[in-house]
Amino acid sequence: MKKNILIIGGGPAGMEAAANLDRLGYNVILIEKDKQLGGHLAKWDRLFPDGVSAKKTLDALTAELSGVKCFTETNIQSINVLDKSYNAILSNGITVLADAVLMASGFDLFKAEKKEEYGYGIYDGVMTNADLEKAFREKTLPSKAPKAIGFVHCVGSRDEKAGNPACSKVCCATAVKQACEIKEVYPDADVYCFYMDLRMFGRHYEDLYLKAQKEYGIRFIRGRVSEVAETMDNRLLVKAEDTLSSKPLKVTLDMLVLMAGMRPSEAGRSVGRQLNLTTEDDGFFSSSDNMLAIQKSKLPGFFYAGACTGAKTLPDTLHEARSAALEIDRYVKDNFKEQ
Amino acid sequence: MIYEGKKKIWADYQKEIPEDHYFYVRSCIRQSFFPASEATFLDITRNKLGKDIFETEHHTTCGGIAYHSDTIPQETVMTIIARQFALMKKYGYENYVCSCITSFGLYCETLETWREYPELQQKIAENLWKSCKLEFAKPKFLVHASDLIFKYRMQIASKSKFKLVNKNTGEPLRVVEHIGCHYSKMFPSKGVGGAEYPYVLVGMVEAWGGQIIDYPERRHCCGFGFRQYLIKGNRGYSVSNTHKKFESMEPFKPDMIITNCPGCPYFLDRWQYVIAETQGKTYGENGHGIPVFTYEEVAGLVMGYDPWDLGLQTHQVSVEPLLDKIGIPYDPAKKYLGRNGKYLGEPQKPHCLK
Amino acid sequence: MGKLYDRLMQDYRLKEGLNACINCGTCTAICPAAEFYRYDPRRIVDIVQHQDDSQIEELLKSDTIWYCGECLSCVTRCPRNNKAGLIIMALRSLSIQTGFFMESEKGRQMYLLCKDLNSNILNYGYCVYPRTFKYDGHMEAGLVWEWVEKNMDDVYDRLGANLDKEGPGAVRKIPQKDLDELKRIYDVTGATEMLENVKRAGLEKARELGLTEEEYCQKLYSECSPKHFNH
Repeated sequence: MKKNILIIGGGPAGMEAAANLDRLGYNVILIEKDKQLGGHLAKWDRLFPDGVSAKKTLDALTAELSGVKCFTETNIQSINVLDKSYNAILSNGITVLADAVLMASGFDLFKAEKKEEYGYGIYDGVMTNADLEKAFREKTLPSKAPKAIGFVHCVGSRDEKAGNPACSKVCCATAVKQACEIKEVYPDADVYCFYMDLRMFGRHYEDLYLKAQKEYGIRFIRGRVSEVAETMDNRLLVKAEDTLSSKPLKVTLDMLVLMAGMRPSEAGRSVGRQLNLTTEDDGFFSSSDNMLAIQKSKLPGFFYAGACTGAKTLPDTLHEARSAALEIDRYVKDNFKEQ
Repeated sequence: MIYEGKKKIWADYQKEIPEDHYFYVRSCIRQSFFPASEATFLDITRNKLGKDIFETEHHTTCGGIAYHSDTIPQETVMTIIARQFALMKKYGYENYVCSCITSFGLYCETLETWREYPELQQKIAENLWKSCKLEFAKPKFLVHASDLIFKYRMQIASKSKFKLVNKNTGEPLRVVEHIGCHYSKMFPSKGVGGAEYPYVLVGMVEAWGGQIIDYPERRHCCGFGFRQYLIKGNRGYSVSNTHKKFESMEPFKPDMIITNCPGCPYFLDRWQYVIAETQGKTYGENGHGIPVFTYEEVAGLVMGYDPWDLGLQTHQVSVEPLLDKIGIPYDPAKKYLGRNGKYLGEPQKPHCLK
Repeated sequence: MGKLYDRLMQDYRLKEGLNACINCGTCTAICPAAEFYRYDPRRIVDIVQHQDDSQIEELLKSDTIWYCGECLSCVTRCPRNNKAGLIIMALRSLSIQTGFFMESEKGRQMYLLCKDLNSNILNYGYCVYPRTFKYDGHMEAGLVWEWVEKNMDDVYDRLGANLDKEGPGAVRKIPQKDLDELKRIYDVTGATEMLENVKRAGLEKARELGLTEEEYCQKLYSECSPKHFNH
């Protein structure tokens, strides 16, 4: 009889792990709280560093799921540990007896309105990285070209006051990507990136940075935005320090994009609380070993993949999903030999 | 501007303000430059609303201006503060209301430092006993006097004779609110509405019929800067910051400014006069300035107090155009009279500022 | 770690104010002093966190630390919970303790500030007191203040104050017993000693310049070198 594997979270991590476990011969149940699979990927337009289509990427992940039982708009109502398995009651009334569980709950975007001084939800021209992707995807950017546009890095990241001292890892590259893209839409606009450190660590990321400077003329200002206000003509007055010249700087913009960072998924954490899963100070789940066994939790048969253990890029997440599938396979083979 | 977004933030900052029974402490600047404001605060709270607001002649300055001009050590100012708190306890109170924003911020900072460093609190308690033979105490609730007027704003509105409305157009007056920096910038949770969009004055203005203007330099300091004003050679700092605020609010055509810090109305009022006299620039209509008020003065105006009882004759920017706009009656002949109608002469007229 | 840094770290404002600076500049971006003076609070915090005594000593002797207006707007914004304003207050205190404040124009203003503010406090119980706030030295207080000054008793009486009189009320006379308590607080907490040191250093400087105390005060009150300004 096929062993049951329950995967919590139908974003890229859950999808990729599901496909691999399905191929390894397991009965995979994938649950997703939203209407559709894909998590944040489903809401994105293009991906850094090369501008690959998010939709094409998601379609490729989806195409591998034919053998997987997917339940969307479904939450975990309750979950508890039995002798050697997990008993989960889903919000759709189905009970799953799982031999192993994979947590792939990913991240929530930081609520940008919490950085009150940036005026998200108050000043008209302020939006988030996710809002901009949506506008790219749905082609709803304003037809009247903005004269000046700014990108604010580290919104709710590297910020103790906002409750998240950690770097969200993907925002720098996303900001530079979006800055280039917006410049394509509005070639005459002045585009600024306000950053503290540009963390362009991945393959081709530095190329993206170079392109932003050389081809698109994006202006990089090393200083964190301190406050945003609205002018008489509905523009945005942005204050930062140009720390490289040690001078306070004021720029008037028409559009300001806040690079909201990654926070642990609230839905994932509420499942974690039912099983007393531990989290680190940053609120993300703690692995049994951050070097050797990042996919393992401290509970036997309970595994992690993707951003539920901290901010990750999409390729990192997919790698973890595959390795989690291997860990689960090994766990099942080691623990259920007699059957 | 999306007003709903501000309402969500305001909902996050609910400050607990007890209804009654306060130990009242004056402000060096407010009592010197706006003595009628403190008198009005006490008259409204005690006589119009029937609250118990106690004052003793034995309290003193908190030392805040001397401290923020770096002329006394932290331990000194903390011991003076401990003395004020001890007087509160001695007279049987546990709620403390102060007239000054510098004091309010310093009390918040001091209480927080004592909480974090109990050994320092112990030392201050010993200092207090050594110097004054008073027993150390801390207030249960600490509020600024503007918090209380905010708390009572609806009761004040229900007793009001005038609204912050232009009587000719029926439109709400366009009001700029200016919050003292030390009100909530250090401890956002200690202020009504937080630090970025404080609600304390907005709530009053809305309750009394006006409309708040959000302009780019709304959060900027008036420019007092303690030593940056007290020394003449440093005053360029002070006037340049006021100037920045007025240049920023000018396009929004405000009818008036309301403040909660004692120093700010002085600086916003007087530097307008200096800017007018030195540069010929005025920010109000027809060569007038934009009148600047304390919240007590505004409360007094809507409740129908005589403008000259409120001390509006001691402003340098003339208030009459605004009184006319609202329809508040006043007798120009009584503007510069002392008690019992004694004529005190008149201030000279500025050259440029009307 | 240097000796000056160690002394700074004994100040509660530094303990509270210095976490670790990420050099993001949110403090400088909105600092009222940074646009006006040649001043960058971020740099000051960074220098202090380097714990390099020679750089700290340079700061203590400089005009730079005296540019801040102590509005504490910087405190709201710092993502690392630093409080630049408090760090500067601690630097100023150390500059006074070490005598380095005498080496800068803005630092030397301490003499006059100490004298004026604390004579108000110890004589009247207030930081600001109407009778010592002179129109002559404060023309910006306006023609209306000139009028108030001329009619001081009548105006304060008209406005419901209790100027120099007994009992509670605005600008009342504070009982001598309470002023004595303030003086004892000054003695017990080190203010008296600090004021004496500042006074001694100032008078010495006046002598050195061949000025009477009054002439020296006038100089401190009015002088302002253009080198301080940003523009």
